[in-house]
Amino acid sequence: MSWEEEAAEIRRRRRLAKQQGGQTGIAKQHARGRLTIRERIDALLDPGSFQEQGQATALPDYDENDRLLGFVPANYVLGFGRIAGRRVVVGGEDFTLKGGSPNAAGLRKSVYAEHLAVRYKVPLVRSLEGGGGSVKGGGGRRGGTVGEPVFAPPRFRIIADALGQVPVVSMAAGAVAGFPAGRLVASHFSVMTRHTAQVMIGGPALVERALGARLTKDALGGAAVHAKSGIVDNVAEDEPAMFAQVRRFLSYLPSNIHERTPRVESDDDPERMEEELVRAVPRQSNAPFDMRAIIDMIVDQGTAFELNRDYGPSQIIALARLDGQPVGVLANDNTVYAGAMTAAAGQKYRRFVELCDTFHLPIVNFVDQPGFMIGPEAERDGTIRYGMAAVCAAVQARVPWASIQVRKGFGVATAAHYGPDAYVLAWPSVESGALPLEGGVAVAYHREIAAAPDPDAKRRELEDRLRKARSPYPRAESFAVHELIDPRETRPTLCRWVDWIQPLLDELTGPTTFPMRP
Amino acid sequence: MARLRIESEVTGNVWKVESAPGANVQAGEVLLIVESMKMEVPVEAPAAGTVAEILVREEDAVAEGQPVAILDTA
Repeated sequence: MSWEEEAAEIRRRRRLAKQQGGQTGIAKQHARGRLTIRERIDALLDPGSFQEQGQATALPDYDENDRLLGFVPANYVLGFGRIAGRRVVVGGEDFTLKGGSPNAAGLRKSVYAEHLAVRYKVPLVRSLEGGGGSVKGGGGRRGGTVGEPVFAPPRFRIIADALGQVPVVSMAAGAVAGFPAGRLVASHFSVMTRHTAQVMIGGPALVERALGARLTKDALGGAAVHAKSGIVDNVAEDEPAMFAQVRRFLSYLPSNIHERTPRVESDDDPERMEEELVRAVPRQSNAPFDMRAIIDMIVDQGTAFELNRDYGPSQIIALARLDGQPVGVLANDNTVYAGAMTAAAGQKYRRFVELCDTFHLPIVNFVDQPGFMIGPEAERDGTIRYGMAAVCAAVQARVPWASIQVRKGFGVATAAHYGPDAYVLAWPSVESGALPLEGGVAVAYHREIAAAPDPDAKRRELEDRLRKARSPYPRAESFAVHELIDPRETRPTLCRWVDWIQPLLDELTGPTTFPMRP
Repeated sequence: MARLRIESEVTGNVWKVESAPGANVQAGEVLLIVESMKMEVPVEAPAAGTVAEILVREEDAVAEGQPVAILDTA
């Protein structure tokens, strides 16, 4: 006697589980222009690296003789796999079954995916598709659980805890609403497809019932909406591009907070000096320039990976490498409100500093900050609260920080651009103070200006006088900056700094006092 | 051929209008300049085409997202 019969049955059940929603369900998914969860996992991971967990979880149906009549697979697939050789946990709803709304076993597996990643200290990649809970429920007479026991720990606790332990990445590749939408934003990086995904708290039917408004899923939560809302970090043209972004994001991060960021051999010369940099900032302070081009010239070639471009667009955030060392890049885009810190830019800034702090990514900050955004809209948006949240995140950061004063540095908002013990470099184009010259003169000399026979001429005369007196040298003379540099020297100087900070990065591994929150 | 509505990215004032209806423009060509937060921000043609309409005049106030020009792309 052996257990051959049972062994065969195990294999049969594994096969049944992999049939997902059957040929019809799979064909419907493909007709929507979307991959199934198993296809997504295979496309995301290194080939052949998926090791599924809970292969035969299902809702079985037995006759009175305990013979299997039907078998509905758990509609959540999870397991270990590898991305660029490094282990990750990946999991996602199977939309071919029950529209991704969790059945009992599916829900358990989705919660377990989070625990698994934290337990084994590896990044978690979620593929999200579905509407979360349904009034039809997940269990009941068919043998599932009904509600959590009263003593159960909060189900969402692990979602919050994971953000302080391992990189968490979420992909939206279909309609994502309710609980899955909550998971999407509780991530260090989230990405949605441009044409096949929508993210909503409640979908069109709920919105029409509650508010009487008839809207399509795309109007409610399509990529055009959420690139600007900041709900997703990035938009990808299609699913393969989305997987590429996930792999790229993870390449800059350690597997968990106990490890260092993965420094690689760089084939870009650390001493490279780009001639164009000496002309990059126009001499007239009201002429805009291309900050992204400056970043690209300084970091290792082709390594800048911008996040959240259309949300709080006056602030640029990106991951990049300097001499192979992953760094977080902060910079102002002066073509949008002169780079001022709006409410959205403040929130974007705060989250990014927390991300860098959580995973010990050194911060490189290209400063061109005219101040907090002002005006009636800025006041209504509560700008200064979010701006101060950004300042607080910066001054409590523990990661090594280098700031390059590119042009403006005005007002309280400028404090967000310097972490403790920042290494400070200045370009000759730097201007700074409590207020920019133009507005500042009108405020500080208002009596003198008003009393002049030609107030406008007086104001211009005062501005001209102060502008001539402005010079980059005194800040170097008084050691208010570490170095005043030729812009072309920026890359070599920063690459040397990257070498200096290596011992500091060893010390930083482990938990931060304040991990990232959504 | 498509008709594109070009919006101002920022709230501010129209400083200069540098194009006119009927003008043939290349992608990246400046249509007008909006002054905002003391910066002169160019509004550029996102693609090559013909300017169908300029919807604002110099010194007009514009709001973030307000259409400022209409472009017929080639």
